[in-house]
Amino acid sequence: MNNPTSQAELVRRSLKRRYRKERRFRLYGMIAVAIALLSLLILFADIIQKGHTGFLKTTITLDVELDGELMYLTDPTDRDEMAMADFTAPILAALKAQFPDVEGRAAERELSRLVGTYAASDLRDLLRAEPGLLGTTQTLEFLAHDTVSVYVKHADNPRYTVRLSDQQKQWVDELQARGVIDTSFNDVLFQNGDSREPANAGILGAIVGSMLTMLVTLVLSFPVGVAAAIYLEEFAPRNRLTDFIEVNINNLAAVPSIIFGLLGLAVFIGAFGMPRSVPVVGGLVLALMTVPTIIISSRAAIKSVPPSIREAAEGIGASRMQVVLHHVLPLAMPGMLTGSIIVMAQALGETAPLLLIGMVAFIVDIPDGLFDAATVLPVQIYLWASSAEQGFIELASAGIMVLLTFMISMNALAIWLRKRLERRW
Amino acid sequence: MSTDKENMYGNHISNQFNEDLSRLKNDFLKMGGLVEQQTADAVNALIEGDTHAADEVRARDKVVDRMEMDLDEEATRLIARRQPAARDLRFVVSVIKMVADLERVGDEAKKIAKFALKLAEEGHAPRGYVEVRHIANYVTAMLHDALDAFSRLDSEQALRIMKADKSVDEEYQAATRTLLTFMMEDTRNISRCLSIMWVLRALERVGDHACNIAENVIYMVEGEDVRHTSLEDAERIVTGE
Amino acid sequence: MSNASSNIPDDITKTEKAAIKVAEPAQQDRREAAALEEGKTVGIPFCENPKFQLRNVEVSYGDTPAIRNISLDIARNEVIAFIGPSGCGKSTFLRCLNRMNDSIESCSVRGSLLLDGEDIYDPRRDVVELRARVGMVFQKPNPFPKSIYDNVAYGPRIHGLANRKSDLDDIVEGSLRKAGLWEEVKDRLDATATGMSGGQQQRLCIARAIAVSPEVILMDEPCSALDPIATAKVEELIAEMSESYTIVIVTHSMQQAARVSHRTAYFHLGHLVEVNETNRLFTAPEHELTESYITGRFG
Repeated sequence: MNNPTSQAELVRRSLKRRYRKERRFRLYGMIAVAIALLSLLILFADIIQKGHTGFLKTTITLDVELDGELMYLTDPTDRDEMAMADFTAPILAALKAQFPDVEGRAAERELSRLVGTYAASDLRDLLRAEPGLLGTTQTLEFLAHDTVSVYVKHADNPRYTVRLSDQQKQWVDELQARGVIDTSFNDVLFQNGDSREPANAGILGAIVGSMLTMLVTLVLSFPVGVAAAIYLEEFAPRNRLTDFIEVNINNLAAVPSIIFGLLGLAVFIGAFGMPRSVPVVGGLVLALMTVPTIIISSRAAIKSVPPSIREAAEGIGASRMQVVLHHVLPLAMPGMLTGSIIVMAQALGETAPLLLIGMVAFIVDIPDGLFDAATVLPVQIYLWASSAEQGFIELASAGIMVLLTFMISMNALAIWLRKRLERRW
Repeated sequence: MSTDKENMYGNHISNQFNEDLSRLKNDFLKMGGLVEQQTADAVNALIEGDTHAADEVRARDKVVDRMEMDLDEEATRLIARRQPAARDLRFVVSVIKMVADLERVGDEAKKIAKFALKLAEEGHAPRGYVEVRHIANYVTAMLHDALDAFSRLDSEQALRIMKADKSVDEEYQAATRTLLTFMMEDTRNISRCLSIMWVLRALERVGDHACNIAENVIYMVEGEDVRHTSLEDAERIVTGE
Repeated sequence: MSNASSNIPDDITKTEKAAIKVAEPAQQDRREAAALEEGKTVGIPFCENPKFQLRNVEVSYGDTPAIRNISLDIARNEVIAFIGPSGCGKSTFLRCLNRMNDSIESCSVRGSLLLDGEDIYDPRRDVVELRARVGMVFQKPNPFPKSIYDNVAYGPRIHGLANRKSDLDDIVEGSLRKAGLWEEVKDRLDATATGMSGGQQQRLCIARAIAVSPEVILMDEPCSALDPIATAKVEELIAEMSESYTIVIVTHSMQQAARVSHRTAYFHLGHLVEVNETNRLFTAPEHELTESYITGRFG
């Protein structure tokens, strides 16, 4: 040991060992990160691969002669007549114009099934809106029938079964060649509520429902959470009671979300008699769920305010309240906001508690108020994913993509806010 | 109180500091020893008319001057680097002042040596050697005691030296009076008697310097400046009443 | 101890050395204990017509005593320095003077603490008013993360000292001038204070403290985070301010205490060992503990 050269040798040898250990440790870390990244990549690739077609709609563009005789319609403003009129006839006629050699009732029925179920009602809506169009010939774009859509988009995909007869397939191929059947961006997805018909189903209702619910959650949980955090951190005495409260807040944050759903069902709907399936109740339940986490993250943010700032304000003679309002809160705000936004993003993806309070219902209309029945994005995805119709598979994936976009933008907002506000530190 | 005194130079957290202070003290004592020797040698050379010894004393004064400069530098460096406080500060400041006194004592020794040469040339003075011997013994003892008091941090001994200075003054007065009478009796001896007078004067100065050193020792130990105070006050300070 | 004994001057015999080696620690301890037990402060702790009159002050954190029976007067317009080893209670004692210890729940203060004859710890006393009169500057420069102007204006604003913007401007300028900072920052009052150098930040904190025109300024190691030049500027400032304020400064630097203060108080293990004229304390302290501390030897 006393020999300096041998000591240097020992150090060198141990150094080698240390470096080896360090390298190995770094490798483990890199592997872990790689695994995480890879699974994320696979998830995204799978969803995008499955769901990108959800953003496409299959349309049939036809020159429809709005012939009054064919529809048994003389006056589109007459309600009774409108109710009795046959709007499928002009569409069929237009289709027949594409294939003049089609004869027979069976073949006609097959032909008419190329357009979606709601084509006739679309036509009626058009005439109701503009009665003057009666008797003219209009170039109209109809949504293709779901089976046609599947055939057009997924003919080569073994996971989809094409429920079209050979004759229909031939027609579709020909119409595609003529440019009558085409695919374009699925604006329907962002304009409609839910529908039995995949081609007509949209997620706008779910998006609005989610936003209303989040609004309620945010308005309730953020002020309550922040106020509770400030009280516990700045004003509450340290005693058994506050310790007890603290422990329970932590426990509450760890309670499974479905329990909050049960609570909401029992209290808000059962005891208070609030309506089911409405964003207010959903927001209340999610607020209960998010408050503990907001309290915890807000307390952490308050704790991270340097005590020197507090002392400085106290030393000048600021009262407790002034210290909190003028110094602690502004400095803790970025932390509180980011914490809250991340919790909100989590709540946005929450399904279980909302299922229990009935936000799982089939709702076609877009909710226009806090007390209007609504569903939310994750529930909508759940509904579609469990649906039998083939067309809903891609819609579910598309819905997931929309949900992920929302979440990523919320997280990005959180990061941006933190970066931006913390610069004043 | 005794532990305290031994702690004068030691016991700092910084060992370097301890060593610096000890070195300063030892160098000072070495210079003191040399100056003491110089005084004694010069007086011997005078009495015995030894020109060779007198020359040596004059030559050695260069060494004394050199030591003065070295000690001053050492003390300055210590202040700059250690920022001594309290007793350490008093110690360093006292040393700087006492070094000046020692140097002056060295100069007085040189002066005596000069007169020794002069008298050896002109012939022995007829009178005054007894007085010179007497006062020389007295002041060298005072100087020795002062250095001893410094080395042992003995303020009581320092006080005794201050008191002794009074006796030196009395002895000096008496000796000059004797010499004056003698000069008046025989005018041929005036020149040589004056030389002896100068020697006596130098020795009296040595006593004063020893007294200054003693005052500094008291300042160092007690923290009170006893210069220009009455002996009674000084005594009160030293005995702590 | 072995180190110390090896440095005992050479003219002591071996047996004496051995005796010292054995006797020293025990003797020292006993002496120390006896001196502290007495609880008497040597030197001149009291004065006529003091700003602060502190009698038999005892402070404890829970069951742990931090200050044991200290009595001290702090004169008007004097600069008094508190020195002592870490944990000796000097900061705790300083913080009693404007009740900064209030926020520490386990901290209890007993004894009589009078500011201009009024009890500081009177439950009816408003701590906000007290702190407006007794300002504080902290160890680490702690400007608010706001503009330079807002930092200085904060105190006057919350205390309602200025009704008009021009009044506030005057206070800000005056305080910055007094803190010797005006020339350096007058063109960038809107710049954020955290972008200043450490020394400027500390002087800004001093400006912020004097903006509410306090009577006393407490300084808790105000220069420990500053370089020597910035320290010199702050010390210069202290000297100027002593004309109009009473200043109490805690410092770890004995040289600083020696440079800036009129009187110096030496704390040891919660006791106030010695209070003396600074000139006296640093050349010839009366108490052995003070001596040991300021000369850099302990034990």
